[in-house]
Amino acid sequence: MIDFLLEIGFEEFPPSFLKKSANELSGKVVNLLNQQRIFHRSVRTIYTPRRIGVLILGLTRKQKPQVVEIQGPPKKLAFDERNQPTEMLQGFMKANNLKHSQIVVRKIKKGEYVCGKKEVVGVNTEDILYEEVPKILKTLEFPKTMIWTKGGTKFPRPIRWIVALLDRRPLKFEFAGVRADRHSMPNQHFSFKPIRLEKPREYINFLRHGGVIVDPNERRKLIVKRIKKAVEKMEGKPLCTNEMIEEINCTTEYPEAVVVGFDEQYLNLPKEVLMTVLKAQGYLIWLKPTSRFVCVFSARKKALQNVKKGYTLVVGSKLYDALFYYKNDSKQGLTRMEANTKRMMWLNGLGSLYDKASRLSDFANFFKKIPGLNLQTLKRAARLCKVDLLSEMIREKDFTSLQGIMGGHYARISGEEEAVASAIKEHYLPKFAGDKMPSTKEGVVLSIIDKIDNVVGAFLSGNRPSGSYDPLAVRRNGYAVVNLINSNSFDITLFNAVDALLKLYKKDIEHEILFEFFTERCSRYLQDKKYRYDEINTVLARWKGDIVDARMRCAALKKMSGKAEFTKLVIGQKRVRNILKNVQGLGKVSTELFKQSAEKKLFKKGMETDGQLKTLFEARDYQKILDLLLAMRPDIDKFFDDVLVMCEDEKLKKNRLALVSLINRIFLCFGDLSRIVIEGEKN
Amino acid sequence: MRKLRTFENIILDLSRYWQKKGCLLYYPYNSEVGAGTFNPATFIRVLDNKPWKICYVEICKRPRDGRYAENPLRFQQFYQLQVVMQPAPTNIQRFFLESLECIGFKLKEHEVRFVEGDWDAPTLGAWGLGWEVWLDGLEITQFTYFQQAGGLDLKEIPVELSYGLERIAMLLQGVKSAFDLKWNNTLTWGDVHRQNEIEFSEYNFLAADARLLVSLFNQYEAEAVRLFEKGLILPGYDHTIKCSHIFNVLEARGGISISERAKMIARVRALATQAAQLYKQKMSEQNVLKEGAKQ
Repeated sequence: MIDFLLEIGFEEFPPSFLKKSANELSGKVVNLLNQQRIFHRSVRTIYTPRRIGVLILGLTRKQKPQVVEIQGPPKKLAFDERNQPTEMLQGFMKANNLKHSQIVVRKIKKGEYVCGKKEVVGVNTEDILYEEVPKILKTLEFPKTMIWTKGGTKFPRPIRWIVALLDRRPLKFEFAGVRADRHSMPNQHFSFKPIRLEKPREYINFLRHGGVIVDPNERRKLIVKRIKKAVEKMEGKPLCTNEMIEEINCTTEYPEAVVVGFDEQYLNLPKEVLMTVLKAQGYLIWLKPTSRFVCVFSARKKALQNVKKGYTLVVGSKLYDALFYYKNDSKQGLTRMEANTKRMMWLNGLGSLYDKASRLSDFANFFKKIPGLNLQTLKRAARLCKVDLLSEMIREKDFTSLQGIMGGHYARISGEEEAVASAIKEHYLPKFAGDKMPSTKEGVVLSIIDKIDNVVGAFLSGNRPSGSYDPLAVRRNGYAVVNLINSNSFDITLFNAVDALLKLYKKDIEHEILFEFFTERCSRYLQDKKYRYDEINTVLARWKGDIVDARMRCAALKKMSGKAEFTKLVIGQKRVRNILKNVQGLGKVSTELFKQSAEKKLFKKGMETDGQLKTLFEARDYQKILDLLLAMRPDIDKFFDDVLVMCEDEKLKKNRLALVSLINRIFLCFGDLSRIVIEGEKN
Repeated sequence: MRKLRTFENIILDLSRYWQKKGCLLYYPYNSEVGAGTFNPATFIRVLDNKPWKICYVEICKRPRDGRYAENPLRFQQFYQLQVVMQPAPTNIQRFFLESLECIGFKLKEHEVRFVEGDWDAPTLGAWGLGWEVWLDGLEITQFTYFQQAGGLDLKEIPVELSYGLERIAMLLQGVKSAFDLKWNNTLTWGDVHRQNEIEFSEYNFLAADARLLVSLFNQYEAEAVRLFEKGLILPGYDHTIKCSHIFNVLEARGGISISERAKMIARVRALATQAAQLYKQKMSEQNVLKEGAKQ
């Protein structure tokens, strides 16, 4: 049994994909071992900001031997009449160095063939790793790479050393102009002297002495321990998440922690501003509600006092800037900022931010019937929601992410109602799938209005998404609109809203492309709600933009799915669709032309059902509606069994088709059931 | 007690250090720039794809960053020490860390953090990958491997180190404000710069004549284009730099809209890109002539 260590050393790697890259590397090495039949006992994935790698213990020296069968000539040609080997077979044996005992006959597709069974001795693990590891390194994938040498190898940051040590032997392959060997590098705060490794098992401890905790799990635990130790006996609660710990883990080789303070006057800043500063300074952890934070750093313990001094200075200065902006903005007030929005263009050819705000305020009227909504509040918030884009705070790139949030604060300071301020604050939500929703009705509606306007504006200004091109995140905006309307069960017909907005733009555009876009977004949303693709298609076939309604219909369909009765109904609908294909110019059904009782019965049932459906549709009782439609099935079946629709008599034929079409129309009120996919059917 | 290292000695020590590493010692550009990268000693020379090592102090002007001498870390004019090595040596990171030791930072007593920072200069059509280097949390240097300049791919990848001299000196001298830095044994950075900061902050934010600036921008731009047409690339690039600075003042002054802003950046970028491409073209023509002469 032998051990293997692979370590790729580089200058500091981007933390956002460090872990992923390390996992990719170790996964690929393990895959290689499995494919090559090399047994191994344990695998440890390694990553720090300056290295990724894998430490594998207990490998076999060689591949497991393998019996392979080499295909020879057909049996017919391999043996003569006396069942003796022909020249051809002898030639095959000689060429492959086979004895008689190794010859067998195998039946394959083409017939019976002679095969030579041969045991292949396993190749040395060393040879395989030497050959294959550099190939693996070439296949690693990264979101962003650079070049740094003439060879033009691409990697996220320059590779400076490689350790490839199989037990006591280095595998001296070359990659990116670097020759692999047995020397790793310590933490740069400790030494620049390479660490010579005699064997892989020394790795973890030797590096620990060099100021590097190579195992990310060990390091993560240590970070938590250090934070706890640092805040012992201190007031306040460290405000930190697992994501923050992992981010710190990806930027740290040797974690230490220290508590740092800032001037208490900065506690007057909005908390979001404070948190933004702390996050940008390397995920500093606020001790809520005090004027202190914890800084995890990656150096020697001796550095503690200097680190404390440095962070005091830098955080203090950033907070000073923030307060400088905050005071100036507060002094300026929303009214001045609002006047400035006239000078700030929104999208190409669509006027200024001021124009956008006016449009949003007008568009708000469309939503006035939503129960419990204060239209005045909404209109005021719509007027002011983009004003903070003109503030000094938001124009500073460190704080741009606070758009909306600052708007809310400044609105409050300028004496706006609390409801207006909170609608402004929350109108960018949700920013991503699974994000928080606005908490007030006006906030929700403002978010919807703004996002519909973003979508429509993008289409009007030539920023329509296609493929991976979606610079204005129009798809995310569209999805959020659907999500917001559905989650709040608003009785809103989206297509009417789009038309109302288009009127305000006074621009000529075919609204169909927007309807199509929103239908697709709604379909995506319903898929995420775990409805089946065909159920969604059924419901959206004749959709008018009512999202809540679509979801209710999907829910009703879902309950039906798989029931034998329902399947039969769908088959019936598919038949109807086929019969009506290419049929045009049908008149009204004429009862006088009925010849068979099945026709009469079906007509009667249809009229009866139609009458009952009206109130059910008003009540949106889709379960009952489906039950009623289902109840028509015996009469439909009877009709198709007894009546020949495509009969010779043209008049009768037309009348029967008209009846089928009438029944079809009743069904279509719910949706196009013929789109349901039935098991075993090719659609 | 350790002897206090003055601001001027920090500059001298760093310069000597890089001189020993083979860098030519050079001087700031004679017109306003926002960063050492604008200096033709960097922007134009990296286009050569030839060995080039240089070190110089740059006087950087960032009109928007003025704070009337009230913020200890922000000013509209400051000093960078710019080091460019083309091609980048493989042990450049160690060189850099040792340069910090050479001015008195014991690495064992500080934290140096390389924080991912993709560098992008939109007005120069240049970008690279690297880090902000933080010393005890304070950004002291931008460390960049250039990938493109003037919209052109670079082959001999250069490394650029831009030391923020004030911040480094503040840490070394243990002062909380750049204005308190000892420039030499008798004068402070504040003595040299305070009045300048106050007056230029007022100029940049309030007093600058926006109309005049817009008109100058247009004229310098036209002049750059005219010079490029005549094949006078370096004078043309000189006017590009002037446009870039005027744009920075206008931005601080306020009164350019988002779309105007984007347009002006695009205009400067077009000039810089043109300078880079024309320079490349001219150099390769001259090389052809030289080759011809040799034969």
